[in-house]
Amino acid sequence: MEAIKQSLIDKLSVEQIKVELMRTAFGRRSTLLSRFDPRVLLGWYTVLAILPWFLSNKFVLLGLLVPVLVLTFSSKVSPLVLFILGLGLVSEISYILIGSLLFGGSLDAVWPLMTLTLKLLIISLASIAVFNSMDPERFSDALLSLGVPGQFSFGVSYGYRMLPILIEEYHNLFYSFRLRGKAPGNRGLLGWRSLVYLVRTAVCTFYPLMLNTAKRTRTTVEALEVKGFTYALASPEARKLKLAYLRVGAADIAFLGISLLYLIALCVGGHWVSF
Amino acid sequence: MSTASAARIPQTTEPLVALSNVGFRYPGASSDALQGIDLTIERGAFVAVAGTNGSGKSTLCKTLNGLIPNYYVGDLTGDIRVAGLTAAEETVSSLSKKVAYVFQDFENQLVRPTVYEEVIFAPLNFGYPDYKERGERALALLGLSHLRDRWIWQLSGGQKHMTALAAALSLDPDLIIVDEPVAQLDPQRARLVYDKLKLLREQHGKTILVIEHHTEFIADYCDRVILMDKGAIRWIKPVREALSRVEELAELHILPPQVTLAAKRTLEEERQEGESALPYPVTLGEAAEFYRQRDVGSRLNAVDGGSGAQAILRGTAKSGAQEPVVRFDNVTAGYKTIDRTPHRVLKNVSLELREGDRIALVGSNGAGKSTLLKLISGIRRPSEGSVTVCGFRTKDVSPERLADYVSYIYQQPEEMFIEDNIRKDISYFLKARKHPGYAELVDGLMERLRLAGLADRDGRLLSGGQQRRATLAIGLAMRPTVMLLDEPTASLDALSRREVAAMLSGELGSVKTAVIATHDMQLVAEWANRVIVMHNGEVALDTDKRTLFSNSELLRQAGLTPPQITQLGDALNLYPPCLSVDEFVRRVQSALKEEVPAWKPSNKASSTS
Amino acid sequence: MVSAPMRRYELTQSQKLMVFILAMSLYGISNMFSELVPELKLGPIELKVEYFAFIPLTLCILFHPLYAAVGASFGEVIFGELLLGQFGGLGELEKFIEFTLAMYIAGMLVTNPRNRKQLAVASFVAVGIDQMLSAIVDIAKVWAGVEDLEAVPGIPESIVLIEGLSFLNAMAITGILFSLLPTLFLVPRLYGKIEPLLGMKPRDSRVPLSLGQMVTPRLLLVSILFVFVGGAAEFLSEADINFAVWEPEFLEQYGSGFMWVSVGAAALVLAATLYTMFRAKGAAKPKESKL
Repeated sequence: MEAIKQSLIDKLSVEQIKVELMRTAFGRRSTLLSRFDPRVLLGWYTVLAILPWFLSNKFVLLGLLVPVLVLTFSSKVSPLVLFILGLGLVSEISYILIGSLLFGGSLDAVWPLMTLTLKLLIISLASIAVFNSMDPERFSDALLSLGVPGQFSFGVSYGYRMLPILIEEYHNLFYSFRLRGKAPGNRGLLGWRSLVYLVRTAVCTFYPLMLNTAKRTRTTVEALEVKGFTYALASPEARKLKLAYLRVGAADIAFLGISLLYLIALCVGGHWVSF
Repeated sequence: MSTASAARIPQTTEPLVALSNVGFRYPGASSDALQGIDLTIERGAFVAVAGTNGSGKSTLCKTLNGLIPNYYVGDLTGDIRVAGLTAAEETVSSLSKKVAYVFQDFENQLVRPTVYEEVIFAPLNFGYPDYKERGERALALLGLSHLRDRWIWQLSGGQKHMTALAAALSLDPDLIIVDEPVAQLDPQRARLVYDKLKLLREQHGKTILVIEHHTEFIADYCDRVILMDKGAIRWIKPVREALSRVEELAELHILPPQVTLAAKRTLEEERQEGESALPYPVTLGEAAEFYRQRDVGSRLNAVDGGSGAQAILRGTAKSGAQEPVVRFDNVTAGYKTIDRTPHRVLKNVSLELREGDRIALVGSNGAGKSTLLKLISGIRRPSEGSVTVCGFRTKDVSPERLADYVSYIYQQPEEMFIEDNIRKDISYFLKARKHPGYAELVDGLMERLRLAGLADRDGRLLSGGQQRRATLAIGLAMRPTVMLLDEPTASLDALSRREVAAMLSGELGSVKTAVIATHDMQLVAEWANRVIVMHNGEVALDTDKRTLFSNSELLRQAGLTPPQITQLGDALNLYPPCLSVDEFVRRVQSALKEEVPAWKPSNKASSTS
Repeated sequence: MVSAPMRRYELTQSQKLMVFILAMSLYGISNMFSELVPELKLGPIELKVEYFAFIPLTLCILFHPLYAAVGASFGEVIFGELLLGQFGGLGELEKFIEFTLAMYIAGMLVTNPRNRKQLAVASFVAVGIDQMLSAIVDIAKVWAGVEDLEAVPGIPESIVLIEGLSFLNAMAITGILFSLLPTLFLVPRLYGKIEPLLGMKPRDSRVPLSLGQMVTPRLLLVSILFVFVGGAAEFLSEADINFAVWEPEFLEQYGSGFMWVSVGAAALVLAATLYTMFRAKGAAKPKESKL
C-alpha cells in the first residue's frame, strides 16, 4: 500500500500533473476534421448524435459507423481514450446483461442490446472525432457565433490561463497542510487511515483555495472591466471582429454534401438489406 | 504645477490630469479615503506617488480610470478631468482608452492564455478593426515580439509585467499608471520596466504615473514626487528636493536612497553651524560625484587597502567543520516538459549545510533555488542522488515526518494561511502533534513577533508586513532545526522589510541552520554569513558575502544587483566592498580627516541611472 | 482599499461576473482532479468520486445560486472536458442542465447559511437531484435505444437495478463524503469571510424569486422526485413488471399513454424550472440581457 500510495503521490506531483494536463490541453495538432469550419462540424456532429436514436436498421447503423471510425482514427485520438470508451461500453452492456439474467432473462437479450451498443458507439465516436480535433477556442468561437453568451467563450481561454496557476496553488496549499500536519502513525488496514488522511487533506485544501481564488478573481474582474470585456458583451462589433475569420468555404460544402449523399445512399440501401 | 492655481491654465495647454477638490469615501467607512485632492499633471511628466499603505495612493489612481466610483462604489466628490474627458460623465471603458493601468497584482490582470491574445484582447473588445496591428505594435514597442506566441504561464515575472504593460499600451493611452512595479519584481527586472517607461515617455510622449516607495527608482526615473498621507496630498515636489526631506519621509516610513542617507551623514559630520546642505545627492551618479569631490576613493583605499581590508575580511571567516545538518550528494532533480523531454532543474549538486550557517541562496529565476528548498523540505524528491536532513534520507520519510525538523516558508504568504485566523495557523503544527502547553508557546511567539493584536484575523486580510511576520511565526512555532525561507522580503515596503530583516537576524530559537532564497541583496548584506550562488541548476559559487559583492562579473551573470551603497563603494573603487550605510559612513569618516568644501548639486549629474 | 463596499444584496454586473468566474475556476479545477482520481473497485461495488459537489454547492449557498451554478457547470465543461480533450458533445449538455438545476435548487433551499440542518438537506438534495435526473436520462436511453424492449425479459429490471445501485453509491460516497461533510465544514467558515474578498456584503436572506410564490424550489423538488419515481415505475410497467404499489388496474386504466404523460411531465418540469431560472435572472437585473 505504501508503494502504491507513494507512486500515486509521485504521479500527483505538481510538475507531472501540470505537464500531463498541459500536454492534453495545449498540445493539439491539426487533423483532417480540424480544417473545416467549426460551425459546420457542430452541425454535422449534432445530426450524428441525434439520428441514431431514430434508426433501428443495423445495416444503416453499421454504415454510419464506418465513416465515423475512419474519421476518429484520422483525428489522431490517443489509443487510451478509445480503450476506455470500449471498456465503458462493454462493461455497461454486460452489467445490463448480467442483471437481466438475474431477473430471469436469457442470452437473447444480447441481440437487441447490440443495437443500443452500436448507437452509443456511433455517438461517442462522432463526438471524439469532432471534438478531439477541434481546438477549444475555435469551438467556443463557433458557439459564440451561434449565440451562446460571450462568458462561455471567455471561460474557455480563461481556463487555459488559470489552469497552471490553480494547480500550482492547490499543490502548495496541499503541502502547507502536509508540512504542518501529522500523518496517522498507525496506517490501518490496507493503509485506510493514510488514505482518509490524504483525502481529508485534499478536501480541506479547498478552503484556503476558495479564499485565495476569490481574492484573485476580484483583480481579474477589475482587469476585465478595464480591458473592455463587459463593454464587448454588449457591443456587436467586437463579436463580429472576433468571428470574422470563421468562413464556410467550398470544402465545408463538399464535406456536408458528401455526408448527405452517403446518408441517402445508406437509407436507400437499408430498404433492401436488413438484419 | 503645484495644485489649485494650475487648474486655471487655458484650454490649449490643458494638463492631462486635473483634479480639483476631489474626495472619496467607501460606503460604511468612517473616514474619507481621499480628501481635498487638488492635482494637475502635465503631458509628458514622469510622476511618482509615494506614501504609506492606506495613504490613498491606489485610491487616487483608481479615480483616474473610473474604477472609482464605477467598480468600487462610494461617494466621490469634486471634479476630475482626464485627457479632455470629464470623468463623471464617462465609464471605465471609455476612460480606459486614455488611461492604462498596470496593477500591483499584475499576474491576475492577465486573462488570456497567450501573450498575443492578451495584447489584442482590449482593442478587440473595443471593436477597433486594426486590433491585430495594435497588439503587434504594443509588443514591438516594448521589444516583446519574440514572446508573441508564448503561453502566459511560461513567462517569468518580469515578462508577465511587460505583457501587462503591453496589453495596456495596445489602446494607445495618454496616461500610463503603474502600481508598485518594484514590489513584485527583482531589482534588475524592475529596472527593465522602468527603462521601458522612460522610453515611452521620451520617444512616444506618454505621461507616466507610478505608485512607488522605492526611492532609489524614484530618484533615477521620476521628475516629481506626490507625497500622500491619510488620503490627502501633503506636498508635490521636484524629485531631489523631495527625497532630501529624509526625516519627513522616515516619519511616513519611506526609506530614502542609501546614498542619500550616507551623504546626509557625511555632510552632518562636516557641516558648519547654520549652514544648509539641502538638497542631498539622490542618485548613485550624484553621490559618486559628491564623494569624488572629497577625493574619498583614494583616501579610503590608502586606509583600507592594507591592514584595514584584512580586518574587515577576517570578520567573515567560515564556520568550523561539524557534522552537516543537511547534505546533498550528487543530487539531480527535474521534471518532464510538455514534449516529454526531461528538464533538469538541479544538476549533480553536492552541498553541506552546517550548524550556524545563515545561508543566502541567490541566482536568477529558474536557477534552481526553489527546487533546492523543496528538496530539503521533502516536498520534492531527487531523481538521482540523495538529500539527507538531520540524519534522514528525504526519499525514505514522509514530508510530515520531516516537518519535525524542517520548516519551509513559502514566497506567497497566502499559500500558508490554511486556517480561519493566524492564531490557529500558528498553532496548527503543535496541535496536530498534541504538544502539551502549546497555547503558551504560541502566545509567547505571537507576543514576540507583535502579532498578539491580530490573533483572530485571517492571514489573507493582513498587510504585507503582517503577513510575513505571521508566516515567520508559523515557521518558528514548528521549532525547526532547519528553517527555509523563499523571498521573505519580497513585495514589502521599506519599514516592513527592515522589520523582517531584523527578526531574521534576531533569536530564532531552535534553528541551527537557516536558508533564505532571495533577490534582496540588502538582506544578503545584512544577514547572511554564507552565500550560495546558483546558476543554471548548479552551484556557481559558495562563498561569503564580501567575496560575492567584489565579483561583479558573477553578479551580472546571476542577475543580481548589489545594494546601492555597495555600488557606491564600487564606483569609488573601494575594496573590500561596503555592505551597509553605517559601514560606509564609518569608513569614509575615518578617511576624511580634513575639511572639504561643501557639495553643490550639479545639474549635469541629475537623472543618470 | 480593503474595506468592502456595503450594498444591498443585489449584485452588480461585475459581481455577478466574479461569482461566475469563481465558481468556474474552482469547480473546474476540482473536476479535473476528480477526473484524474482513480476509481476504487471492491468487487461489484465501485467506490468512485463522482465530483466534488461541495464546491459549487457552497458557492450556491453563499452567493447568488444561479451564477454560481451556471459558472460551476461551465467550469466542468471547460476544465474537465474541453481542456482535457474529453468533450462528449450533446451528452455534456444533458449533464450541464442536470447539474445546474440540482445545484441551483439546493442553493435556493438554504435560507440561512448558519443553519446546519438546512445545509445537510441541501447537500443531499444537490447530489440527489443530479443523480436522479441522470438516472432518468440513462433509463430513457435504454428505452429509446433498445427495440422491442418488452420482448426482452430482464433488461428493464436490470437497468433499474444498475441505476439504483449507482444512485445509492453516489449518495453514499459523493453525497456524504464529498457533499455533506465538506459543506458542513466549509459554509459556516466561509460565510462572512469570502464575500469581503470579492467586495460584497454577505447575504443575510435570500433574494425572493420573481415567480417564487408560484414555483417554489420545494415544489420543483417534489415534482422532480415524483417524475423520477413515476418515470421509473412506468418504465417497469411498460415491460409488464410491477412494483407492489403500481397495480395493474392502474395501467389498464391509463394504458401505455401514461408513459408519454410522465415523460411529458418531466419535460414540463424541466422547462418550467429553466423558465423560472431565466425569469429570476431577468428579475435580478432587469436592464441587462446577459449574465
